[in-house]
Amino acid sequence: MAMGSKKSGNGRGRGGSSRGGERGAQGGQRRSLFRRRKVCKFCADKIDDINYKDVKLLASFVPERAKVLPRRISGTCALHQRKLRLAITRARVLALLPYLAD
Amino acid sequence: MSAPRTYELVYIVSPDATDEQIAGIHTQVEQTTQKLGGTLVKTDNWGRRKLAYAIQHHKEGTYVLEVLEGGGELMKELDRRLKVVDQVIRHLIVRVDEEQRVVQRTQQHRQATQERRRVARGLPPRPDPSERPKVTDDDGVDGIDGMEV
Repeated sequence: MAMGSKKSGNGRGRGGSSRGGERGAQGGQRRSLFRRRKVCKFCADKIDDINYKDVKLLASFVPERAKVLPRRISGTCALHQRKLRLAITRARVLALLPYLAD
Repeated sequence: MSAPRTYELVYIVSPDATDEQIAGIHTQVEQTTQKLGGTLVKTDNWGRRKLAYAIQHHKEGTYVLEVLEGGGELMKELDRRLKVVDQVIRHLIVRVDEEQRVVQRTQQHRQATQERRRVARGLPPRPDPSERPKVTDDDGVDGIDGMEV
């Protein structure tokens, strides 16, 4: 039974927190789940200015471990990841974000 | 070189400091700025915030943001002075004018592109609020999924 290999999967959220567990919807595929294509949040929402003062936004890219969320998980494009990293670094200096998880 | 540069200065005042002391630090910044030929554009007191980690055993602090125009000499002097003040437990100076210019240019460019495209499609350059909102990506394609070949 030949299955179409192109498919928009069952909405795996970005952030990678729900790793594994989900089954492929139709079953029988070689890889059991298809990932949703990740889109750079900053490109999609047209956020031009990644500011170190915007703690809410930055915190969503700094998971519990207090490390910067890698591109391969968040889907951020290279340009915005660089800006993001700089903003996070600045926010850390001002104790708006942690350096380490406590 | 002649155009003034814009900087943002954020400093965290120790939670033990009184309101007068915070005001005192602000006046000091203001005076230094004036003396060295800069201008104070904006001040914003964020109030007391919890710190993400302890600085000098303090768990919270009062954040103050100052937007300044001036030269590098002024910033050097401010940096030096803030280091001396014991009440200021942390400060950060960032130059922002260049980035702001880039952001502005991107927005203008996007606006212009949008208008050009809309005109090419025979629409007025600005979207009407009554127009249907843009369909946000892929959730509409799911119908193909169940196809048997």
